[in-house]
Amino acid sequence: MQSAVKATSFNQKTNQILGISQEDARISKSYLSIAFIALLLGGFLGLLQGLNRAGVLQLPPWLNYYQVLTAHGILLVVVLSAFFTIGYFYAGLSHTLGGLLPKVRKMAWIGFWMKIFGFVLVVIPILKNEASVMYTFYPPMAASPMFYFGLVFIVLGIWMLSLGAFTQVANWRKNHKGQHLPILAFFATGVFVLLVGATAFVAVEVLFMIIPWTLGWTDGINVLLARTLFWAFGHTAVNIWYLTAVSAWYVIVPKIIGGNRWNDLLTRMVVIPLVIMNITGGFHHQIIDPGISESIKYMHVFMSLAIGFPSLMTAYAMFRVFERTARAKGGKGLVGWYKKMPWGDVRFLSPFIAMVAFIPAGAGGIAQSTNQLDQVVHNTMWVVGHFHITLGMSVIMTFFGISYWLVPYLSKRVLTSGMNRLGVIQTAIWTLGMVIMAISMHIVGLFGSPRRTSFTTYGNFAETLGWNPYMVAVGIGASLLLVAVILQVYAVFNLMFFAPKGVTEFPIAEEEAGAAKTPYWTERWGIWVVLMLLVVSMAYVLPIADMIMNAPPGSPPFKTW
Amino acid sequence: MNLFLFGLVLLIGLMLPPVANLMESVMIIHMHMQMPMLVIAGFFMGQFFQRRFPHFFSKYNQEGIPGILLFIIIMGYWMLPRTMDEALTVNSVELFKFISLPFLAGVPLRDSWKKLSKNRKNYTIGFFTVIFSGMGWLYIQANDQLCNNYLVVDQMILGWGFITMAICMVIYLVYTAVVDPSLYE
Repeated sequence: MQSAVKATSFNQKTNQILGISQEDARISKSYLSIAFIALLLGGFLGLLQGLNRAGVLQLPPWLNYYQVLTAHGILLVVVLSAFFTIGYFYAGLSHTLGGLLPKVRKMAWIGFWMKIFGFVLVVIPILKNEASVMYTFYPPMAASPMFYFGLVFIVLGIWMLSLGAFTQVANWRKNHKGQHLPILAFFATGVFVLLVGATAFVAVEVLFMIIPWTLGWTDGINVLLARTLFWAFGHTAVNIWYLTAVSAWYVIVPKIIGGNRWNDLLTRMVVIPLVIMNITGGFHHQIIDPGISESIKYMHVFMSLAIGFPSLMTAYAMFRVFERTARAKGGKGLVGWYKKMPWGDVRFLSPFIAMVAFIPAGAGGIAQSTNQLDQVVHNTMWVVGHFHITLGMSVIMTFFGISYWLVPYLSKRVLTSGMNRLGVIQTAIWTLGMVIMAISMHIVGLFGSPRRTSFTTYGNFAETLGWNPYMVAVGIGASLLLVAVILQVYAVFNLMFFAPKGVTEFPIAEEEAGAAKTPYWTERWGIWVVLMLLVVSMAYVLPIADMIMNAPPGSPPFKTW
Repeated sequence: MNLFLFGLVLLIGLMLPPVANLMESVMIIHMHMQMPMLVIAGFFMGQFFQRRFPHFFSKYNQEGIPGILLFIIIMGYWMLPRTMDEALTVNSVELFKFISLPFLAGVPLRDSWKKLSKNRKNYTIGFFTVIFSGMGWLYIQANDQLCNNYLVVDQMILGWGFITMAICMVIYLVYTAVVDPSLYE
């Protein structure tokens, strides 16, 4: 046992001095490469959509608007986010836990190829216009069965990766009895627990409901049940990316600005409730769905708003760290300290804008979780604006900020000042594009413009023609975003293959001096998982049993495109 | 003191007629949300009583067994369909619910849980697993309406609630049996 301890701490030290091992770096680099290729393709498709909605581009007859929308959603919401999250956390696990175990590496590669195989199966029917069901794949719209088989392999890949992460963490804990899991690995554990929890729901939906239905083995599908299972997954997926971004806010950003991490217990207490309470938040995506009683929807508002609480703790913690650090550097005045922040450093600037964007993004989310307010904006462009500001700013801009140190760290290169400048310009263009796009989407949504609709003038109806200027703004925003996408992808691959060789640090902030000791109960992951299951079962038994027992005959498959 | 106040506010909040009416309008929420929350309110208030009457607790609940037995009896009582019905129709029984669950189940649970050995804790959870499975089976299988105030479909949903909770407890018991904390802590 003692030799194992020595070996791990030796590995940790080598990791810190020599950087990540080549084998571990290759895993993360592969994931990040796929993520950013998906960004390029998805961004291009986003431009097509934006220009179509602006009324300046008519898509050719062989390219359907809904096909483009499906591919854009899958590439950015599923591929980019998931591959980045996994690449980032596997690098984090390798760095903080003394290098990946050989069997974990093997699992990571098996997971990678399962996911790639799954995506190939998903993409083929999309290209053939046989799966333009949009990325939420709601029944009764039915895609080719191959699309759903692809989803199954993606889920299996995720389970393999989660198993790999748990194996790594369990091994570290065995060799470091009584110690707290390093904070980044703690975040990773939370994220992988949620990934398993979330995908379990969609696996049930796809395996036991959709696939038999699309193969013609069953006549009808319970649409409401399928949507409920989807959103247990979908909502959690969103929060997984958010939690990934939050991990960088707590752990990485303080180091980049030259400060310390504040309050380890608070940080861990952000992760734990998010893990326990997250999945049930899915119901607020179904506030307008018929068939769920109002009292259930009302009670679920509590579950949704409960998730907001850790976010408020995060907001407080972040600005406290900023102010402390800036004042330590000589910042003065009530707000004058902000001048001491490293605004010219893309590794800070991009995540900072991401955090600021989360203020309107979170507020918009609370509006949408509220029954009466949601009735105004449900299924309008407002919702599209909402997830572009949450995912497109709060999450992705954090990921962009991470890429400027993670990619050179993995490829043993350095971020040059020129590349940093490019990053700052890229951040500015992306911010401008996203702000123009998200604001116009929110406004036009309030006016009633529906989402997921190809360009139409509604028979030149005066009221709806008034939406067009906003849609032109969406097109302008999308154009700016593609410019930023190209710069970002260029930066990533430059940093991966062409930047000058050198040593880049994995920036993990230390705790403040004299910080209180974190109690050990935060490490009891078994209990958190059981509590999560309890909350899920309490929240879902009533509506799901009701949906099954009072089920309508079920819907046959429809191809609406 | 803060925890006591938190528990008291929770208890009063749960007793407010609109809150109580909403929670009692659905059978499973009545039994699996309102009642556990009442116990939790008592659990929070427990520390106040432990400090106020240390002698009482050390004398009558030395090893935690009387307390946990009282907890089991009170919980068992409120699992019966008849008692839920009475709580809805007889005001004094409703009042008894708001007193018994926090003070005769929540407070003793607080005092007993830490005093119980790991085995006794697991026996308690195992006992509730069996009871929950049995009650779940009863509520799902019963073709007759067991409560005047709730429909048959409501009691079937409650049955599934019992079953899923029992599954969670089984997962916990398996976890404690399989994972040896001394390997990690």
